Amino acid sequence: MELKVYCDRLSQPSRAILIFCKANNAEFEEVTIEIGKGQHRSPEYAEVNPMKQLPAIVHGDFKLFESHAILIYLASTLPGVADHWYPADVRERAKVHSVLDWHHTNLRRGSVGYLLNTVFAVAFGMPGDPKAAAEGEKLLLASLARIESFWLQGDGPFLLGNSKPTIADVALVCEVTQLEAADENDRDRILKPHTKILKWVEDVKSATAPHFEEIHATICSAREPLKKLKAQADHKSE
Amino acid sequence: MELKVYCDRLSQPSRAILIFCKANGIEFEEVKIDLGKGQHLSAEYEAVNPIKLVPAIVHGDFKLFESHAILIYLASAFPGVAHHWYPADIRERAKVHAVLDWHHSNLRRGSIGFIFNNTICLAFGIPANPEAAAKGEKLLSASLARIETFWLQEDGPFLLGNAKPTIADLALVCEIMQLEAGDKNDRDRILSPHKRVVKWMEDVKSASAPHFQEVHAIMGPVREKLEQLKIQAIENPE
Repeated sequence: MELKVYCDRLSQPSRAILIFCKANNAEFEEVTIEIGKGQHRSPEYAEVNPMKQLPAIVHGDFKLFESHAILIYLASTLPGVADHWYPADVRERAKVHSVLDWHHTNLRRGSVGYLLNTVFAVAFGMPGDPKAAAEGEKLLLASLARIESFWLQGDGPFLLGNSKPTIADVALVCEVTQLEAADENDRDRILKPHTKILKWVEDVKSATAPHFEEIHATICSAREPLKKLKAQADHKSE
Repeated sequence: MELKVYCDRLSQPSRAILIFCKANGIEFEEVKIDLGKGQHLSAEYEAVNPIKLVPAIVHGDFKLFESHAILIYLASAFPGVAHHWYPADIRERAKVHAVLDWHHSNLRRGSIGFIFNNTICLAFGIPANPEAAAKGEKLLSASLARIETFWLQEDGPFLLGNAKPTIADLALVCEIMQLEAGDKNDRDRILSPHKRVVKWMEDVKSASAPHFQEVHAIMGPVREKLEQLKIQAIENPE
């Protein structure tokens, strides 16, 4: 049965799904839908996902969006996926659900609020909202602290103290790596104090090598073009 | 094995869990954590949930928070729960996950943005924020429209076109019921354009009667109390 993954490597949840698929040797077709070019708003893409957001999958005749739902579906459906990604044990699974849910209103909300209003606004031709950016940064920092003090507690190096990664590790780390699109000074200001976070990102990278690095090439190379766009916008407004 | 549900009936996700347990004959102890009195910030409650939010459960020695994770856990851990609440089929289940995920950033975010910032904040001694409430109402209305045009389908009366409710129906309807805490005119203005949503709410109410009504009995007294606080706030501006 054919699996198509509709995604943009600039999108955090898109990367999580691509890394998961490749790390599990899934056969699939990556269909790039470029957000920057507005391709997610095309009538063709609306057929795939009426919400016009990324990522989405089509598996045979089955359409699905929302990245956590997709990760769970793929972990349950693809052949040969090791149990540690999405444990069968009801209690371990519940903990994975809880960190994925927490992510929506904490790390993701903070990260998107900050980056959208500082870095990506310019790229989308919108003015950034400094108040929203400040609120986003506050929530982002609180979320990173919470990951260190709570979610990364336990015996092992991964979320929930696990010795091997779950889908939650891939989902949350891909959110943290979105900061690669920001100015290095801002990225370092936000991330460098969080040594546990930095180690965890490395551990997830190793556990999914070489796919993690390969899939992140796009966001890492977005920093310079985004800086240029910002410089142009600042120059125009002077 | 003993199940304790730590909750406040003022909290939408708390109500969803209470109704789910009662509708499925699950034995549990309801432990009230009074948000208005700040009990969620106590050291005792922190031992239950370090994130200091409600609801949370303790089942034997197992602690869990995040209401969607709790609903899934209860549906999976208690054998008496009818299958329609959380289907075993991987694809049907994936759709339930998708709408629960969508809920976080759409209906819930809009609903809280509106009702917290124009009414419920007063219960916590925080002044109303009309700008934030207006922003929330916009997202809330868009979410209700999306429920009508996408999530409620032709085949059946419940979300995803199902003939019987899932945990998603309970979670989302309890969110909309939060409007009962505010001004009746606001509630009617927001809900009356969405006749299909209104019918769906009635269907969920019937499917979980008499527990839905019983758990929501708190909303009338809460509305009256908040009306008093609003009057006081107008008469005594700071």
